[in-house]
Amino acid sequence: MKIWENLIEDTKKIIPSDVQCEIKMINSIDSLTRFANSHIHQNVEEEMTDLYLTFHSDGKTTNLNFNITSLGSIDEVVKKALSEIENNPKDSSWPGLASKENSYDGYRNLSPENPDLRAQKVKDFIDQGGSFNGAGYCSSNVSNVFVWNTNGLSSSDTATSAFLDGIFRSETSSGSSHLGHKTLENIDGEKVGQEAYSIAKESQNPQDIDPGVYEVILGPDAVSTILVFLAVYGFNAKSKVDGTSPIEIDTQQFDKKITLVDDPHKEGALNFKIDASGSPKAQTEIITNGVPKSYFHTRRTSTELNEKNTFHEMFGWGDSFGGLGTNLYLQPGGISKDEMISNVKKGIYINEFWYCRVLDPITQVVTGLNRNGSYLIENGKITKPVGRLRFTQSFMSSLGQGNVLGVGSENRFADSEFGEGILNVPMLHLKEFNFTGGVSG
Amino acid sequence: MFNQINKSIDSAIGSGAQYADARILISKSRNISSKDGELEDFNNSENMGLGIRALVGSSWGFYATYDLSDKSLIEAGKKAYLIAKASSKVPGNDFPLADVPIVQDKYVTPHEQNPFKVSSTDQIDLLVSSTHEMKKLGSSIASGRLNFWDTEKWFGSSQGHEIYQNIIESGGGISSLSIGDGETQIRSYPQSFGEYRTGGWEVIQSFKFLDHVERLTEESKRLLTSPQCPEGTRDLILEGSQLALQIHESVGHAIELDRILGWEAAYAGTSHLQLNKLNEHKYGSTLMNIVADATLPGALATFKYDDEGTPAQRVDIVKEGIWTGVLTGRDSAAIAGVSPGGMVRADGYGRLPMVRMTNVGLLPGESSLEEIIASTDDGVYMETNRSWSIDDLRLNFQFGCEVGWLVKNGKITDMVKNPTYTGITPNFWGSMDMLAGKDEWVFWGTPNCGKGQPSQIGHTGHPASPARFKDVRIGVRG
Repeated sequence: MKIWENLIEDTKKIIPSDVQCEIKMINSIDSLTRFANSHIHQNVEEEMTDLYLTFHSDGKTTNLNFNITSLGSIDEVVKKALSEIENNPKDSSWPGLASKENSYDGYRNLSPENPDLRAQKVKDFIDQGGSFNGAGYCSSNVSNVFVWNTNGLSSSDTATSAFLDGIFRSETSSGSSHLGHKTLENIDGEKVGQEAYSIAKESQNPQDIDPGVYEVILGPDAVSTILVFLAVYGFNAKSKVDGTSPIEIDTQQFDKKITLVDDPHKEGALNFKIDASGSPKAQTEIITNGVPKSYFHTRRTSTELNEKNTFHEMFGWGDSFGGLGTNLYLQPGGISKDEMISNVKKGIYINEFWYCRVLDPITQVVTGLNRNGSYLIENGKITKPVGRLRFTQSFMSSLGQGNVLGVGSENRFADSEFGEGILNVPMLHLKEFNFTGGVSG
Repeated sequence: MFNQINKSIDSAIGSGAQYADARILISKSRNISSKDGELEDFNNSENMGLGIRALVGSSWGFYATYDLSDKSLIEAGKKAYLIAKASSKVPGNDFPLADVPIVQDKYVTPHEQNPFKVSSTDQIDLLVSSTHEMKKLGSSIASGRLNFWDTEKWFGSSQGHEIYQNIIESGGGISSLSIGDGETQIRSYPQSFGEYRTGGWEVIQSFKFLDHVERLTEESKRLLTSPQCPEGTRDLILEGSQLALQIHESVGHAIELDRILGWEAAYAGTSHLQLNKLNEHKYGSTLMNIVADATLPGALATFKYDDEGTPAQRVDIVKEGIWTGVLTGRDSAAIAGVSPGGMVRADGYGRLPMVRMTNVGLLPGESSLEEIIASTDDGVYMETNRSWSIDDLRLNFQFGCEVGWLVKNGKITDMVKNPTYTGITPNFWGSMDMLAGKDEWVFWGTPNCGKGQPSQIGHTGHPASPARFKDVRIGVRG
């Protein structure tokens, strides 16, 4: 990309030899077509080119970021950075720059999707809803990342994604569905619409049930919520550095049916194959048969814990966040949805969780609610839709030994509170889940 | 800048848009974080670009670009129109726009010291020394953060608006985290995630972090050995910053007109409020008087015009417990037949402006925290938010706080840990029976309100003073 090449050429000429410098550029076109009350009401596109610059000199570090328009001249930026760096205290945990050998060339010059195609996908969805009220979005994205440093590393990658996410609402119910793929043309709008409509239809006139401990079947979006919380607050090595992670490597903390990998090379994976240091990511075992195998490391956390770097540094998130896997895949089991339901004597099917918050990071006790489709299952059959429930439940225990009764046979990209497209998961059947409140509080 | 904006607007209108407006922003931010007496992150950020929105029929089209060349600006106007036009494949009723005054004006946030002109050494030193002291006193993790924003906005519209605003915001906070056997306890000041206002470096100086390091560290350590908050139904007394978040979640979001109209249904949700119940619905007790006021000096959501050029104003939301007002934009106000309230803002140049809370606050009462505690026989006083969760109708909520204090026979007795409370919005607000007065009324600020798709972060204000609620379910645990 010409902008990038020119910037790096100019930078090379002016960086003093005793200064370590790393420059990252994110160039993307994000497009999103939003609909509500069964028509498109907001339709947006943003083209951005953001730069993240890190300078390290005399044991001190400073970070600057600009978009390409506000950057002005790189000469002045370098002068400003080197002047500011003098004010900073020593950076005792500076982990250094990635080496030249880590360079990776994955850039592809791709064009954004067309707003007409997004509108067509929305129409395909809406057309499945009959008299129900449809809302949601169809998005598409092309992102390019570039990393250069004074060690001589030069890396780039390109990723694309598209999502269709929608709900249908009746007077008394709602149902949702969500699909993701690398390209918009592969999103089946009718399928997403049919799923959402079917759930909304079957969820009408929900009944209250008493709070308590229930067996549950969790849809992919609910499963992804549990895993993303464990990923951010547990497997993120920064939480280990801070002493707040509940995860103990090589200890049987989860049920043997749980195997989670981070694999940017898996067919269909949506996110970058390099991390923000510019280094290539490899397939990483996170949980194998219920045993945690690795944290998500950055340069800093791997240095601080003296462990091997797994290259999970996030573009644009800063050192205080830590690391996170963005191509997570929960290994499927062999149980179909119907078979899973038939195995439940008395339990609840939860399509989605909503507004989940951690009460304590070490115990991973989380509170939240259900929405967009929940049913009571009795003697292997769905008997009635159920209304709003609040849970207060340890997510560690929810996947603990003996609590995972079954793993679904079909994976899909699921939404999560930390973004979509980072988790590809099946349904789960759990033995116990603690609901602490109903519709009346 | 207005010349550049008008090139883009003219292009959108020339392409066929009914209406167009555009903003050029230069946004600066500085984020500093410190842990255990060391600098953890120091980041200066600056970006610049244009966002233009065009109205065609029943949809907004929006395009944002960092490229401010004439060619790009003209192209941006055309793209905004074409994106809006693509929406006609799935059309609704045409969007009307409520009339607002067409103004040319300038506004700069009143401030004493621009935080970007203060030595970064002073800013870093404040955090490093505060966290160093807490660590020395025995904190497991002592952390602190400062955040500053300096945003210049040029807004123009096809109706003739030309408004320049320079909004300056400052905030931050410190926390002591203590780690025990399988648990963590935290105490934060001025509130969890920090306190934020419009204004300059003087905002941070007023917090006097170092005066609080000893208390925070001692309390976070003591919480580890304190008993659990008892479970049951009791009187609940909320400290101001927790009440501010309660207002944000159970009132502020519920009164957003875009939610009430269903525009946010798939993500943020809708509202339990129905427009046909405006001026009738009982939201809470007669002590409950809520206003949305974007003119309060120093509050976080204070400005002179919103991102549609509508003047900032004060709007009654709840009067003596009756729901009377909503948060609006020009389109939603016209649909609902109410006056536009100047409550539309965007997160940077790259996002579509949307309905946002301004300073949605609870007007003070006539009591005091001291009097409230003295008149409580059996209750819990909870301070500083630790967790929050509420359903998508804004009815069923559960909050956790950092610390609870048992109140018995008019006196604070024991510290309790992991205090939580849960309730249903109108029942909860209906149970408010005592409210502290103006001396304890603080303009709390929330800098992290998420809404919209693509996601936007909003800065909102919530003036509040401590209050008491009767017979609330507390102590819910997993």
